[in-house]
Formats: sequence, structure tokens, C-alpha cells
Amino acid sequence: MSWTEKYRPKRFSDVKGQDEAIAKIKIFLDNFPRTKAVILHGPPGTGKTSLVYVLARETNSEIFELNASDLRNRDKLREILKPAMEQKSLFKEKKLILVDEVDGITASDWGGLPELLALILQTHYPVIITANDIWKKELAALRKKSDMIQLKEISYKTIKEILFGILKKENLVLEDKNLTKIAINAKGDLRAALNDLQAEAGIKSEMIEIAERNKEVDIFNALRMVFKGKPQEETMRIFDSVNMPIDEIILWIEENIPAEYQGEELARAFELLSRTDIFKKRIYRQQYWRFLVYENFFLSYGISSAKKNIKTGFTSYKKPNRILKIWLNNQKNEKKKSIAGKYASFVHIGEKRAMNEFPVIKNILRNPEIQKELKLSEEEIEFVERG
Amino acid sequence: MVSEIWTEKYRPSRFSELVGQDEIVKRVSSLANSMNIPHLLFAGPAGTGKSTLALIIVKELYKDSWRENYLELNASDERGINVVREKVKNFARTKSLGNVPFKIIFLDEADALTPEAQQALRRTMENYSGSCRFILSCNYSSKVIDPIQSRCVVFRFKLLEKKDIEKVLRKIEENERLTIPQESIEILYEGSEGDCRKCINILQSTASISPVISQDLIQTVLASTKPREIKVVLDYALSGDFQNSREKLFDIMLRDSISGQDVVKAIQKEIWALQIEPEIKVKLTEKTGEAEFRIVEGSDPFIQLQALLASFVLAGLGK
Repeated sequence: MSWTEKYRPKRFSDVKGQDEAIAKIKIFLDNFPRTKAVILHGPPGTGKTSLVYVLARETNSEIFELNASDLRNRDKLREILKPAMEQKSLFKEKKLILVDEVDGITASDWGGLPELLALILQTHYPVIITANDIWKKELAALRKKSDMIQLKEISYKTIKEILFGILKKENLVLEDKNLTKIAINAKGDLRAALNDLQAEAGIKSEMIEIAERNKEVDIFNALRMVFKGKPQEETMRIFDSVNMPIDEIILWIEENIPAEYQGEELARAFELLSRTDIFKKRIYRQQYWRFLVYENFFLSYGISSAKKNIKTGFTSYKKPNRILKIWLNNQKNEKKKSIAGKYASFVHIGEKRAMNEFPVIKNILRNPEIQKELKLSEEEIEFVERG
Repeated sequence: MVSEIWTEKYRPSRFSELVGQDEIVKRVSSLANSMNIPHLLFAGPAGTGKSTLALIIVKELYKDSWRENYLELNASDERGINVVREKVKNFARTKSLGNVPFKIIFLDEADALTPEAQQALRRTMENYSGSCRFILSCNYSSKVIDPIQSRCVVFRFKLLEKKDIEKVLRKIEENERLTIPQESIEILYEGSEGDCRKCINILQSTASISPVISQDLIQTVLASTKPREIKVVLDYALSGDFQNSREKLFDIMLRDSISGQDVVKAIQKEIWALQIEPEIKVKLTEKTGEAEFRIVEGSDPFIQLQALLASFVLAGLGK
């Protein structure tokens, strides 16, 4: 998900550096229908569209949106916009009509602008128009009918503050001078700054991961995407954004496959995990790192594709515990090994064989005389006695 | 001091006491009497007297100073042929004590060495042949490379027969004041598969509970020696309960520290006893073979076994 989408402001308080514009648009709404339309204008990335969405959210309104990608000739506009401007919202009390990027209306939009003007006069709902350059000649009539609110370029300081806040949420840090560079380069365009930052974060070379605590949030989301979502191009890259070595991710997948997949899906997923591991071992053995592509592919896209349909609902994923279990067991086995070693050399057999036959031997080792013979330690005796 | 571990306490210390290998004993004892033995290769199943015969030889040759002239190594325990070589070098550096002009190195489980390691071993044998004799033991002589076999006199140990094992057991019964009914002898023999050491261990293990060696008691002890509950693991999987199957599998592997390879083997054997269509049996065996292959190649045994269990889940669905 792009950060520009992810971190789009939700409340007025999230909209930084545009206090004046916020105040003005509130006034416009209060005065509606004295003025039927408002034009938000300003350079790209200053938050025009975002501001409209915040407004809708804060006033509990539905948005009817029309933007440059929609055809805007006269008939089309009337067909689409007219009902929207007259009919009540189905779900919410209020409604906002958003005509995005109005300066995109050109000569090709036959009769579009006059029709828009005519419709504005009849609308039952506030019309909000956004534009980068409102001073075009063709837009003069529109300017006269509307309130005008200018959104200013966002200062680099404000941009930097916002970027810093996002890095914190993403659990990343970036050197201050790089952050400043991105903020200045953006020239007041917050969207550009966010895109730059995300790209920089993707490279990761300068990024240092912090905060172990939030690690799991990331892996949980990644697991959700792989197990539940449709396999797509992003799926392949999903684990790149998880702050965790791939070996550990493999363990997470291994632990949680049966929580999501059954039957054939289960078998397919484990076959793919098996292939993942095979490539992992090939990398180790041959030090041929291109195999990482395959390891990564099978683990993400491959496992995601093991299911027939996308999955819904919530699954609580478990932390992998196999390694812990093995470790605990090895601790326990240390004693068994040392006992088997003593026994083995005493009776002229190999240690491995003594380990294999331990269940039978153990009963014999409960004899105190034998414990003395083998010079078993206190702990070793305890281990044998405990059963 | 006499050991309380019966496999040691009742280990034969003279040629005449060794059971079941009369031919070998006859030839080896005459070699030992001549005070000059060649390199020897003892091939045969576990618990048939290979180590014991080697010990008897050194005790006959060196009498009380046998410990100074005898080095025992286990190929499957030593980390690599270099460790073996180093130990042999250190041991062979000093001259033998007494009248015998050589020392004896016993290398147990020589077939655990890779062919390359065996080549290195062969060189070592040649380098120290002036001061040392090697006695190698293995389960399968076919796994020992020809150049080594040709340098050794090869003796093939037979699986012990029931009468041989019974002889040993009756002796222990008398000495330890046990009661072993005839049926129990049968069970002990079958349970040990002709492995005398294992048989004695089972007996002592049983006797630690009661001096009356009943059939039931032996069965209880025996049950604890088998790689357990693999069937339970498979049953869970076949019924579609992957989670429990996996948990059980991990428990078994960890608790008894069974290797992934051993589990695969146990699964492969277990497939025959399952109530499934022949076609699925074949499919599962194929999957099992693939899993074993991948584990042998170095893949993570836990992951491979889970993948195999997932195939069993499928088989349970008739696929």
C-alpha cells in the first residue's frame, strides 16, 4: 500500500499547514446554499482532495466524486451529475459533490464547463471543485459563481515533521540530513515527499530498524496478505517490508500454514515450503545467492497461491515455537548425552548406539552401584531417577 | 572389580566362553597363540561378539597390560577421519610394552566412515603397520572399500541362535538368582533379534523391576524401546487432524531424540500396516522416499516431515 494512501489525513487535526483553508471551507459549508460551490486551488500535493475527504468524514457526508478521468462532455455530465445533485444520499444525511481537477476540462469536453455552471445553480448539495491553476481564461465564469480557497504550498518544515511522524509509525529511522533533503526537494508537494520517502525506505540501505516490539505487527499483516489475499505481484515483495530475517519468516509460515489451509491446500503449501527450504539450503551449500529469488518466491507468492479462493475472517497467528522446543529439549538432552557417553565407553559401544538404546539402559542405570561405577554426577543421577 | 552392568559382568573374557561363533574362535585363537596377528575385519550384526572377541584377543596377548596396548575408537562418534588419524598417530608413537611387538587399534563401526575417509584410513593403516594392528568391525562388509578388505583377514559373524542366547541367559539366571520361564526366553530372544547385548540389557532392565522375569514384564520393557507412536502420528494425519499429528511428531522426535531420517524410516515401514488402497500406499511411499531423499540432501527434517504428513492428510481424503 502506498504511504500516500496509508497516511491520508482522517481528521482536520491531521491536515498540517492548511489551517486557513480549513477555516474557510467550514464557513463555506455553514453558508451553503448562499454560495453553491467552492474552488480549492493550489499546487499539486498540497492536500486539496484530502481536505475534501476529511471534510466529508468530519461532517458525516457522502462524497459523490467526478474527476478528470471521467468523460466530461455535456450529456455525460448531465447524465451523471444531475441525479447526484438532486437525489438524497442513501447512507448518510449529507452529501458533497466533488469535481476533482476541473482545470483538466479542455476543449475535448464539449460543452462541459457551461453545463457544470448550469448544474451548480440547481444543486441541492455543496459542490467542491479542485484545481491546480484556476486562473485559466476558460474558468473565469466558474470563478465568479464560486468561493475561492487557496491551499498554500506546505513548508518544508511541516513536511519534515509529517515524514518524521510516518517513519516513527513504520518503525524506521532515516538520517536527519536525508529527511531534510526529501522535504526540501518536494517543493511544498507532500505527496511527492511521501513517495520519495517510501522509495527511500524500500532501498533500506540508510534505514536502521528499531523497536523489536512492533516487529510482530508487521509479520502478522504479511501473513494475512499471503494466507488470505489473492496472489499478486505485491505478494512477492511482501516479506521485503517485514523487519525480520527470511529464516525466521519461514518459521512463522511453517507454524501457521495449518491455521489457514486444509486438505489439498495444506499439502500444496507444505510442498512449496519444502521447496523454499531446499533452495535455502542450496544457497548455503553453493553460496549462489540468486537462488534467493526462488526461495522468496515460493515462500510468498507460492504459498499464497496454494489456496483455491481468497480467505476472509480473522485468524490469530501463532508465534513459531519449534526452535524454542528444540532448544529446551537439547538442554535436557545434554545430560542424556553425557550419561550415554560415560556408559558407551564403559561397555565398548558407540555413543550413538547408547543414545538409541537409552530407554532400556535407563532402567539399568537406576542401580546405585552402577551409578557409582560410571561416576555419574548428582544431576545425571537425578535425570536417570526422574524417569 | 566386577561391574554391575551385566553386559560387562558377563562379557566372555576367554575364547572358550564366546558363544555361537565356533569357527571364528578356532581360527582367531590360533592366530593369537602365534603372537602375530594380521589386520582383522569383523563383519556381522550388532551384539554377536565382535567387540568381545577383539577384547579377548588383546587380553590373551597382553595379559594385565592390555589397557596400555589397546586403543578403542568408534567411527560413528569421532568427528571425521582426521580425529581418528590424530588419535591413531598419538597412540602409535610409543612402542608396545611386553613381548608383543605391536599394539592393537580397534575401530568399531568402520562402515560408518565415508569411502573417502576409508581411503585415508587405509593410508593410516599402512603407515603404522609396523607398530600397530587394526581390528575393524562393521555391520556390512560391503560398505568397507575393497582395498581395506584386501588388507584384512575377514571374519563374518553369524546372528546368534536361540540356543546360544539361552546359554547366556541361563548363566545369568543362576548367578543373579532370577527365574526365567521358557516362554520368557522366547520373548527375550525375539525382542532382541539375535543381539546378545540387547538381550542382556532387556533382561537386566526387567530384573530391576522383579527377579521373576515374566512375559508381561518383558513386554512392558520392550514397548519402551521401540520408536513409539509413529502410528498415532499417521492416524491423526489420515483423519485430517494435521495440528495434532504434527504436535505428536515433534514430541516423539524431541523426547526420544530420534533423527528425521529414523522417523521417515519408521513411517515407511508403517505404511504397510495402514488400511488404505494399494494405489495410495504407492503414492505415500513415493512421497516418503522423496522426503527421505530431501532430508539426506540436507533439507530441514521438520519441514520435510510436515510436508509428508500433509500428504497423509490428502491420502486420508482418498486423494
